[in-house]
Amino acid sequence: MAGATRPTTVRERVSDADVSAGRLLLVAAGVLFWGWLLVSWVNRWLGGVVVPVGDPLVAPGLVEGALASLPALATYASDAAFVVQLTPNLAQGTWLTVVITGVSLVVGFFLAVPLAVARVYGRFSAWLSLAYTELLRGTPLLAQLFVLYYGLNLGRYVPGALSGVFPRDVVWVAILGFTLNGAAYQAEYIRGAVESVDEGQITAGRAIGLSKVESIYHVVLPQALRYAIPSWTNEFVYLIKYSSLAAFITVPELYYRADQVASETFRYTLIFVVTGAMYLALVITASKLMERVDDRVAIPGLGAARER
Amino acid sequence: MSALGTLAPAAVDSLGALASGGAPSVAASDVAAVASGLVVGTADWWFIGEPADWWFVLDNADYLGVGVLLTIGLTVASILFGFALGFPAGAVEVYGDGLLKRAVGTVGVVLRGTPIVVILIVMYFVVGVPQINFGVASLSPPVVAGILGLGLRSAAYQSQIFRATLASVDDGQLEAGRSVGLSRFEAIRYVVVPQALRRSIPGFQNEFTIVLKDTSIVFAIGLAELLTRGYDLFSERTTAVLEVILFISAIYFVLTFTTNRALDYLGTRYAIPEGEST
Amino acid sequence: MSDSDDGFLRVSDVSKWYGDEQVLHDVSFEMSRGDVTVLIGPSGSGKSTMLRCVNRLAEAQEGSILLDGEEVLSPDLDVDDLRREVGMVFQGFNLFAHLSAVGNVALGPRRVLGLSEREARERAEAQLERVGLGDQLDSYPAELSGGQQQRVGIARALAMEPKLMLFDEPTSALDPELIGEVLEVMHGLVDEGMTMLVVTHEMSFAREVADEIVFLDDGRVVERGPPDQLFERPEKERTGRFLERIASHD
Repeated sequence: MAGATRPTTVRERVSDADVSAGRLLLVAAGVLFWGWLLVSWVNRWLGGVVVPVGDPLVAPGLVEGALASLPALATYASDAAFVVQLTPNLAQGTWLTVVITGVSLVVGFFLAVPLAVARVYGRFSAWLSLAYTELLRGTPLLAQLFVLYYGLNLGRYVPGALSGVFPRDVVWVAILGFTLNGAAYQAEYIRGAVESVDEGQITAGRAIGLSKVESIYHVVLPQALRYAIPSWTNEFVYLIKYSSLAAFITVPELYYRADQVASETFRYTLIFVVTGAMYLALVITASKLMERVDDRVAIPGLGAARER
Repeated sequence: MSALGTLAPAAVDSLGALASGGAPSVAASDVAAVASGLVVGTADWWFIGEPADWWFVLDNADYLGVGVLLTIGLTVASILFGFALGFPAGAVEVYGDGLLKRAVGTVGVVLRGTPIVVILIVMYFVVGVPQINFGVASLSPPVVAGILGLGLRSAAYQSQIFRATLASVDDGQLEAGRSVGLSRFEAIRYVVVPQALRRSIPGFQNEFTIVLKDTSIVFAIGLAELLTRGYDLFSERTTAVLEVILFISAIYFVLTFTTNRALDYLGTRYAIPEGEST
Repeated sequence: MSDSDDGFLRVSDVSKWYGDEQVLHDVSFEMSRGDVTVLIGPSGSGKSTMLRCVNRLAEAQEGSILLDGEEVLSPDLDVDDLRREVGMVFQGFNLFAHLSAVGNVALGPRRVLGLSEREARERAEAQLERVGLGDQLDSYPAELSGGQQQRVGIARALAMEPKLMLFDEPTSALDPELIGEVLEVMHGLVDEGMTMLVVTHEMSFAREVADEIVFLDDGRVVERGPPDQLFERPEKERTGRFLERIASHD
């Protein structure tokens, strides 16, 4: 990016101040959002130590009363109370969204690394890897979920050990679907990064007596996985958003619950704007988190070269 | 209307049919054979489904065909709409300043940070899109909502593609344009934009296939494109679930594959000779 | 320096093809323990390829390379075993970009020789001291100058305690003012009696330290002999022409 110089004009300085104010606002919103989620989850797990399970953390009436007393916000008081009334339900759905995304991402990662390595260094396995990634990236995720759920009826075949972990076993089908799909996309990003590692790195590894596999493991991957972080973050963000498709195979995650309430109360506008904002909060958290990770693991002296 | 509420519990018992399938399948479907083989584990795992169910799929090929046309139409319309908004948005992010630039940036972040299904639902229920009448033909509300939703989201992503490629064109190009007497706008229009557009093809390729695949999500607002029609079909004949979904998946795959190859061709055809200095 | 031929490294009639193109034609030479042999020749003459055949980074199709009595080209040989005994220094350094200087040097001892974390680090520190980088232990490659990077490369090879060191144009990628520090380290190794096979264009260095110079052209050994003889009284006309050309560039 150009223009990394010191702000010179008054206008730039003012906009700089705006940026830091915006930053502060963002951090505050983040703390509020995650604080609310964590307290809601813990409250539910511990059987309602803070408020009875199913009740909002703050009484809707209290919010309504407080807002109604402020002339500027009085018109929104009843809407706000309505949203507050929904919060336990939304928090519960968000828990599933977070778990599905997290588990799929991590398991998918462990599939993606061998897929990427096979694609770059394999012969026959390169073709298998290519076929897998092309197939999964070439068909809609929703169709894949339908194949697993409606077509193969996997919901009935959840192993006993996994059964009952979630309120509905179909959650596992969703996790399987997102894992398989995400692995293909992650493999594509990681492959790009593996290819960007200089060939001389493997040669040098081989020259000190490491085997090819050891060279890949100790030399290529530690570099490639670092380089992959920015593009890999995209996949993280995509997965958060596309986890909403689990609703269509009856997984009661965030979108599912929003849709349920909306169809009961007909307050589509409010509910989906709030839901959208919650996804946005998850997405922003993920990308800020990965920016941190990227800075943290950057190789000294190489950081500036990769900055875009 | 709740899209989810209408979901029939169609997780039906197609597995019985699957395991007993002894005759060769009609369509090429060894693709998912591996997957189902893992589950079923029968010796004849490469035969997927019942011939009768495959005939059912083929009998309804024209029904699905209309869905394919809708899918393609929706994709093209959304991409064009997305381009019409996304290109100027990208230019504003590079060349604009002040409030406009920040507004465009913020809208982009919101659209890229929200699931497409939420965007579509908001368009459909919240914006309350009207039926659009062209005299000859008319667009139903779900179609308008689909194009608006997919198009806006695509605009947000396309703006990022164009932002990056516009910024990648060397500053000297703009200066050179100014030095022969072009105005700033003209220099951008005639010198920078033609170069940036060519460089945008790979990113655009990606975006095109994303939109194509995501048209399936208008399922949520009941628009009868390919996936929705598939869903309707297998709800009608619950033994043919796997056959129908594999069939439509294959169609999607052919669509994305041919799109990618076509854009590959476009990329080489319009590449600036001698490669690029980046 | 030894004059007696103990047959430590015996390269005989080595030939290699890339596809249809023959890049090495029956190359032969010998080295004794403690010898320094320098391969010279125009670019594309096959020097680097010959060097890489010795640790099997390139595969020769014909001929024999005996190292300490063992056939290097044998299909049964474990190439990883071979490489832990033969150190290599690259033209482009090839330092592991994600590891500090110590990390680069310690990786082989840790993963290949199986030393403990601590032993490997101690060994790495000692080798970095040896090449004069005791004050840059925790610097990363991208933070070091080219000359420093190449010295880390040498330390990395030395840490495996090799019985033979291969140098593939170790100073060609360096700015002129950085060449000296690398040659100095190499001088030190010669003085310690390290057996070294070196590909280089640094003729004055070759002349000073080599026991034997091998002149390759078009994949063939044109002439070989002690530096004084080869530089002062080359027998072949091609050798003379090459040396003149090099001299006029200096």
